[in-house]
Amino acid sequence: MHIVCCLKQVPDTAEVKIDPDTNTLVREGVESILNPYDLVAVEMAVQLKEKHGGHVTAICMGPPQAESVLREALSLGADTPILLSDRAFAGADTLATSYTLARAIRTLNRESEVKLILCGKQAIDGDTAQTGPGIATRMEYSQFSYVTAIESVDPRHNRIRVARKMERGQEILEGELPALLTVELELAVPRRASLPNLMASLRQPIKAWNKDDIGGDVQKLGIKGSPTWVRRIGAPPPRESGPRFAAREGVADAVRQGLNTLLADGKMASKLGLSDG
Amino acid sequence: MAKNSKGIEVAEILTDQCIACQICIAECPVGAIELSPAGVARVDPEICVGCGKCSDVCPVEAVAFDRKKRRKIRKAPKAEAPASENIVAVCIEARGSSAATVSWELVGKARALAAKRGAKVAGLVLGTGAEELAAQAGATGCDEVHLLTHESLGRYVPGLYGYALSELAGKIRPDILLMGATAQGRELAGVVATLLKTGLTADCTGLDIEEETGLLLMTRPTFGGNIMATIFCENHRPQMATVRPKVFPLPAPPENHKWDLVRHDWHPPQVPVPERIEFITDNEMMGIDITEYPVLVVAGKGACSPDAFALLEELADVLGGVVACSRPVVESGLMPYERQVGQTGKTVAPSLYVAVGVSGAIQHRVAIQGAQRIMAVNSEPEAPIFQVADVGIVGEYAQVLPELISQIKARKKNHA
Repeated sequence: MHIVCCLKQVPDTAEVKIDPDTNTLVREGVESILNPYDLVAVEMAVQLKEKHGGHVTAICMGPPQAESVLREALSLGADTPILLSDRAFAGADTLATSYTLARAIRTLNRESEVKLILCGKQAIDGDTAQTGPGIATRMEYSQFSYVTAIESVDPRHNRIRVARKMERGQEILEGELPALLTVELELAVPRRASLPNLMASLRQPIKAWNKDDIGGDVQKLGIKGSPTWVRRIGAPPPRESGPRFAAREGVADAVRQGLNTLLADGKMASKLGLSDG
Repeated sequence: MAKNSKGIEVAEILTDQCIACQICIAECPVGAIELSPAGVARVDPEICVGCGKCSDVCPVEAVAFDRKKRRKIRKAPKAEAPASENIVAVCIEARGSSAATVSWELVGKARALAAKRGAKVAGLVLGTGAEELAAQAGATGCDEVHLLTHESLGRYVPGLYGYALSELAGKIRPDILLMGATAQGRELAGVVATLLKTGLTADCTGLDIEEETGLLLMTRPTFGGNIMATIFCENHRPQMATVRPKVFPLPAPPENHKWDLVRHDWHPPQVPVPERIEFITDNEMMGIDITEYPVLVVAGKGACSPDAFALLEELADVLGGVVACSRPVVESGLMPYERQVGQTGKTVAPSLYVAVGVSGAIQHRVAIQGAQRIMAVNSEPEAPIFQVADVGIVGEYAQVLPELISQIKARKKNHA
């Protein structure tokens, strides 16, 4: 079974901040990592390969340094790394990204049928969760988002059954292969790469594909193919902090003063059904 | 202004402004710009020909380039936006016999947006036997309700609903299409935007109409909530956005409101459609949607023990709320993921948010921005949660909570 994982290199978002005074990005010490949801997708793909046999291709669209996330996928057991890198891909929003990735997967499909595409539910930098459904739609694959468990896969009869998370519960869905899944963090626990695999992953050549390798309409790539545009960025609206009371100086007093402050405007008091004094 | 060895004045990237959108990289005619390992654009001065295009296209003015006759073009010339109707459409997400609350919140917002541009509000309803839902959409403030029914749409299935909704939107041709950023809405919107080949901005927390252009300005948190980005979609229609629940208030139903019902037929395409085998409604612990409670009592790492939970539950009870938690508590296995507040959990906007032993990392703080009041109890006076708390009590939860509970009970009696 040929499985494709779509990967994204993202900044560790805990580190990216904006200076509220100058409205500029603070980037010191920000590291680039493999999107954590994609890491789970790679782990799942490798587990499925170990169970059913097959081949795992990891693809990543990004600048040359995005190669490092492909090496990480290799160290976990992915077989073929493909880096989609071209100036024409730059500036892509989710519509152009799903087009580019779908073109690449079609190219792979011609050599060996892609039965399963695994994507992270979303990337932690953009949090859009749109690229996966976009690729599935373009490929006309069965689509399953927010997958928390793969209950069964039958590559011979082209069936798959998954559990996925919705607002009010868990949905068990069954459908046909080929399929695209977007995965939640609880789907699998990523393994630690063994030292030999880690060493091997550093030596393996990475295939680099540009716009000519995937064909298609250049007007649909990168910035040209992107309908959305950033107009401005800024810091989230600040929130002011109120007084603090120390329990050390008497817990009953601290709590009383705290509640008085909280209920001072009366509205909160009536909302909670409490007296404000 | 820096010059290169050929004497050309070259562009320079202001690294603390650059958002790594890579638009300049795509637009540079000579390929002089690349993304540095630090994740910002970088100009190779020896390749740069000083044309200034990067400066023209940069959305955040992160390119230092001085040109005497500066011609401001905002982006590469593109076709005009396709013709569309002056309609703000809202996709109404069915939930049992009613709709997800966010759908009604959006109808309210759509009315405000429509008023700014003299547009009509259309409610889009899919399903079988959705007459009742259509009537609710009309009563809530839609000027027209478009009802597309087909036996295959009895309940939401991924893929198929996307085809139905995009066909409906293709007929009505709204200028703006809004959907709730629920699990279903986010998935569905991704499919519809792909089929309609238009732009989609996910998880917005703000929507407005730009006065001079009439365009929809969509504001959303990005980089894990540390940064707000305002996005627009100039040349494609509809302008699509999903919006987080609890961002906009529920509207008051307009009085004497007239609305039209339009029915649509549909022939489903031959696409693979997953079949729903089972739906396991969340059990008691998990069946609670923390976003729907007016009061949340939130356990953090500092109150992550079984004996803390008895106190937290009691506090939540007297306040008419429910217990939620931060990520470390889920990781410890004490509470299910469904109760988690934060970047990887839920965004909440309760009237009162009581954080107990929550340190308040940025990923947690961004998800509670909508809370009306925040009270923090923490033994660590330097905990970042105090920076956003309206009231702070510095002390051990085991000491503070019993006192808090008893004083709240006393105030309840006084109130009654």
